[in-house]
Amino acid sequence: MNHGPQMHGPVVAAVLLAALTVAVVWSMLALVRRAGRSAEAWPHDLAVRPAEPGLPAAPSERRSQEAAGATSSAPVLSAENLTKRYGALVAVDGLSFSLHRGSVIGFLGRNGAGKTTTLRLLLGLAHPTEGRALVFGGPYADLERPAQRVGAVLETDDFHPSRSGRDHLRVLALAAGLPAQRVEQVLEAVDLTASATRPVKTYSMGMRRRLGLAAALLGEPELLVLDEPANGLDPVGMRWLRTLLRDFADAGGTVLISSHVLAEVAQAVDRVLIIEQGRLVADAALDELATGSQTLEDAYLALTTGPAR
Amino acid sequence: MKGRPERGRIADQIRSELLKQRSTRANLGLSGAMLALVALAVLLHGYALPATALTRRSDQVSLLVGWGAVLGVVFAGLAGAISITAEVRHGTIRPTLIVTPRRSVVVAGKAGAAMATGARFGAAATTLAAATGCAVLAGRGFPVLLGGGDYAQLIAGGTAAGALWAMIGLGTGAIVRSQVPTLIGMTAWLLFVEGQLVGNLPSVGRYLPGALGQAVSGLDAGRPVSPWAAVALLGVHAAVVAYSSWLATSRRDFA
Repeated sequence: MNHGPQMHGPVVAAVLLAALTVAVVWSMLALVRRAGRSAEAWPHDLAVRPAEPGLPAAPSERRSQEAAGATSSAPVLSAENLTKRYGALVAVDGLSFSLHRGSVIGFLGRNGAGKTTTLRLLLGLAHPTEGRALVFGGPYADLERPAQRVGAVLETDDFHPSRSGRDHLRVLALAAGLPAQRVEQVLEAVDLTASATRPVKTYSMGMRRRLGLAAALLGEPELLVLDEPANGLDPVGMRWLRTLLRDFADAGGTVLISSHVLAEVAQAVDRVLIIEQGRLVADAALDELATGSQTLEDAYLALTTGPAR
Repeated sequence: MKGRPERGRIADQIRSELLKQRSTRANLGLSGAMLALVALAVLLHGYALPATALTRRSDQVSLLVGWGAVLGVVFAGLAGAISITAEVRHGTIRPTLIVTPRRSVVVAGKAGAAMATGARFGAAATTLAAATGCAVLAGRGFPVLLGGGDYAQLIAGGTAAGALWAMIGLGTGAIVRSQVPTLIGMTAWLLFVEGQLVGNLPSVGRYLPGALGQAVSGLDAGRPVSPWAAVALLGVHAAVVAYSSWLATSRRDFA
């Protein structure tokens, strides 16, 4: 009875090895093809060349029309007694504010004041200890098609170093159910098309900033939430960023931009929220704070280092 | 605005997760290391063991399943774990959750993609073990006593165990989050801790996930755990870990 298997052993071994060899060769070919595509793009220069703000930066017309409807009066973002404690440390302390459509809002405070924690609470990455964070009237996780309502960048370097810029965006576009051409449009808008096949680890800081912004713009959102977006940008990149944000807001979009560098914010924002030790110390239009000879910096220092503290 | 149905969201997330795996070389490196280790282990044992340890059918099953299935589940588990720990390590979990804030959808998408990858790992490891083992036995002039049914069970079992172990790896990674402790812990458990438990406490050890992974492929023929029972029990392990990982992912913050 064992005669069959005895005879077939070497044959089975040969067939199985052949199948495995085909699989391995196929995988290697795929790898070589991909490496070839990366090598093609390799010689391109690493210089940061700011792009003209393009069409993809602006919220889509469809949503602008929608914005004019029933949801236009609802706050885009609001916090109600928002509090986050980590043990004895109170990172965010009873924050309440609401932001409305069509402006660029600066979210200012020193390092460690609670800005990033607040943004994480708004975007559902962290859960509040008390209070509520609402985006378009509800919790962020309840949004239908969130990528088409909100684009956000929280850290400078949230990329897999070996993944190409284009694949980083394709991964997010697939998850959001967005068409592949949006990836090419946003790459073009941030001037990364020529570098799109290179792994992100070869990108300069400015290119990473632009790739992060490209990801935020993928779904043509109505709201941009950007944490310290100007870090690592040179003066040309800064001007490009300001123009992009201004155009975005002028087209009906809303931008919340956190920063601890006042000079870069003063030129870009309409409204300012100032946070100090987790508490909101100012919520005002820029021209209310920076009046006459008082600059935004004067007002900021008075609010965050004055006797009131 | 009309939302996508949940099933469509999960399908989109699975496509996204599969592209994450294809767009780095981590899985290629893992599969290369796995295949090299399988070939090395089967060749070494096949040539080093005396004839008396290789001529019975059960010995030959041990040679093929022992190394093919064990290394298949180890690497499938590691691939599953890396699919979440690499996201935490590189910070890509933030854009992932900003685009897909419903964490149940992210976990389901990762589970689907990890199981597909784990199945491929298990299939490749057991196929190479079978091929190398047969070649070694034939080369030493021993009659190969395995039939088509044995090969089918070895490879189908390796595929199923790989898929379920990838889920266990994903769940472990979602709970531990940190990459290095997750990978070291899983490897130590599979290659050392379970071996001790199976050797010293067989009544308990045979129901542990690593031993079940081998039983699915036919190693455990003399024990009371049949391959079908092993699949079911391994599925229970995977389901428990998956549920724990969903709890760990849905309730905890991402810094």
